[in-house]
Amino acid sequence: MKRLLQILVWMAVAALGAVALSTIALHRGEPISATWFVLAAVCSYLVGYRLYSAFIAAKILALDNTRATPAERRDDGRDFVPTNKWVLFGHHFAAIAGPGPLVGPTLAAQFGYLPGTLWLIVGAVFAGCVQDFVILFCSIRRDGKTLGEMARDEVSKRGGFISQLAVFAIMVILLAVVALVIVNALKSSPWATFTLAMTIPIALLLGVYLRYLRPGRVMEASFIGVALVLFVVVAGQWVADSAAWAKVFTMSGITLTFAIIAYGFAASALPVWLLLAPRDYLSAFIKAGAIFSLAAGILLVRPQIRMPPLTRFIDGSGPVFAGKIFPFCFITIACGAISGFHSLISSGTTPKMIQREGHARFIGYGAMLLESFVGVMAMVAACAMTPGVYFAINSPASIVGATPAAAAATISSWGYPLSAETMTGLAHAVGEQTLLNRAGGAPSLAVGMAQIFSSTIGGDRLLSIWYHFAIMFEALFILTVLDAGTRVGRFMIQELGGRAWKPLGRMNWMPSILLSSAIIVGAWGYFLYQGVVDPLGGINSLWPLFGIANQLLAAVALVVATTILMKMGKLKWIWVTLLPMAWLVIITMTASYQKIFSANVRIGFLAQATALAAQLAAGRVTAAKVVETQRNIFNLRLDAVVTAVLAAMILVLLVEALAQWYAILSRVRKPVLRETPYVATQWAEGD
Amino acid sequence: MRALWLNFQDALRGLWKGLRQWSGDAAYETYLACAARKRGAKPVSAAEFYVEQLNRKYSRPNRCC
Repeated sequence: MKRLLQILVWMAVAALGAVALSTIALHRGEPISATWFVLAAVCSYLVGYRLYSAFIAAKILALDNTRATPAERRDDGRDFVPTNKWVLFGHHFAAIAGPGPLVGPTLAAQFGYLPGTLWLIVGAVFAGCVQDFVILFCSIRRDGKTLGEMARDEVSKRGGFISQLAVFAIMVILLAVVALVIVNALKSSPWATFTLAMTIPIALLLGVYLRYLRPGRVMEASFIGVALVLFVVVAGQWVADSAAWAKVFTMSGITLTFAIIAYGFAASALPVWLLLAPRDYLSAFIKAGAIFSLAAGILLVRPQIRMPPLTRFIDGSGPVFAGKIFPFCFITIACGAISGFHSLISSGTTPKMIQREGHARFIGYGAMLLESFVGVMAMVAACAMTPGVYFAINSPASIVGATPAAAAATISSWGYPLSAETMTGLAHAVGEQTLLNRAGGAPSLAVGMAQIFSSTIGGDRLLSIWYHFAIMFEALFILTVLDAGTRVGRFMIQELGGRAWKPLGRMNWMPSILLSSAIIVGAWGYFLYQGVVDPLGGINSLWPLFGIANQLLAAVALVVATTILMKMGKLKWIWVTLLPMAWLVIITMTASYQKIFSANVRIGFLAQATALAAQLAAGRVTAAKVVETQRNIFNLRLDAVVTAVLAAMILVLLVEALAQWYAILSRVRKPVLRETPYVATQWAEGD
Repeated sequence: MRALWLNFQDALRGLWKGLRQWSGDAAYETYLACAARKRGAKPVSAAEFYVEQLNRKYSRPNRCC
């Protein structure tokens, strides 16, 4: 009877999910309630978790709770620490949740709400969650080895090297693109710039508190920090209202670029306890609070989705970024559906802290489902705006014009009605001088979040406070990724450089720290600067590049996972990782090809460079713009080379893996699985 | 009613314990407990442990995009 009831409940959940998915897919005309999005996502996640992840756990991975995990065998109270599964879920989610699932869906909303929402849900259930779960399992069975180590051991030495290079490439491009998102959110905004600038002294204060006054008392320090940050969000309004102070904090994109580069260098070179760690604590608490509040706000307000299911821009002519729905929707969504970077977390700290193998399903698969839900909420927030406002905020001036009147005329001509007064009124309501041409996703997401929050608490009176709270949350979040990533990049350079010149490998040697920090900051700083001066707004070039790099790393992880499953003798079920891998290879290769060779100047790097060179040769560029044009031509060619290198890396890895798979399948080579030997757990069931 | 109150107290205690573990507040206590079990070298101080732990944590990818 109980079993029958369970079956009926799950059938009801599946039916509700199917109805919700059909509603959002088939609805046309009038706005649709966001409740359908929440229902479609949650029901799909529940069914995916209950059926698909259970199938993977039981049939393919055969999770074994009698087997001691690395946390039990190597418990040292430092890295290897057995941790409660709910606590570890929180750790893992805090580590994988970055700005990607917020920014990616916001940008992909230019295709309409439907393609992005479907990919967020389907991609997570069948690809992203599977990748995180399987890699976590593989790392647990190998004493917490990293993805690079597993690629080297299980695929080939070259495979290990490629994954290291892929990590470095993704790091550089990721840091540049997230920094660009901050620049576009802060430029000409004294309120937002002041708020974010103040988080630096607050973090320093917390750093000293945690290091000297109350070592390791993270929670009390974080509460003090969060209170101070909330205060500076409000105080930002006074700064914006004061003519003298507003002038100090009103910065151009270029000034902000150099400020962020200087900040990144400081965060990398200064002791970690002083700036990086306290900022991370602040960010973790605010991130958890903001994501929870957004979910609660959407459930309470149930906003109407005004964006159509599909826009005219599925043909590739989108103003936010150029490119057709295939492959660019999948490249753009990135982390909300599948992220290669997650495989670094799944093969980093988490496998060293897991208590039982059985917890890998809840932590690996479950945390990614939650990340996907964050992406769906970002999509809802972006699509709840009127489409005209969305396009005005996210399109560069070179496409829609730099004044409210010009933008309104251009966007209205596309079939998305917008008046100049709407944009000036909205900018005024959120306490900004303008909201036009703020590509990058952060400002439009902040407007969407602020509208949802203010409908819950405070009404229009608090719209400006909520907007700046949302901007601060996004920027704080992004700066944490920026400084943590810069520091890791510095370590990678020191490690690699140390092979060529030993002193560079000394992690605590100041000249080595300064030199390697300068190299990593210079690398992402160059791409950031390039994005800021790009006439098409930077996001058009850099976000797809980031998407390609990220999906490339996911393909690397799935190649490793497929090889390991093959060696485990699970040939029958190999499609579980092989199909998402093949899909990722297809989309990264197609996107790479189009970004390099497309004849459309808004898509193809080389076509755009050629067009600019032709203008230069024909003397159609004014003398003042010659140097800038030459620099743009060089940057576009550099982007083409970077894309080609990324594509070549995945092809080389694929060839290596195919050779390995052929040898296993044809029995030329006996498969050697490099798992740590079985040790029975000493813990009683339920520990 | 009393049983309900006790359950509620237990749940709150569990939540607080989980929050301390998640935030890192309990890391030094966990380390000391482990050191006591192993009876190896003398444990480092709270301040030393804090800095050492941060240096390890932020030398590898620990925040995603």
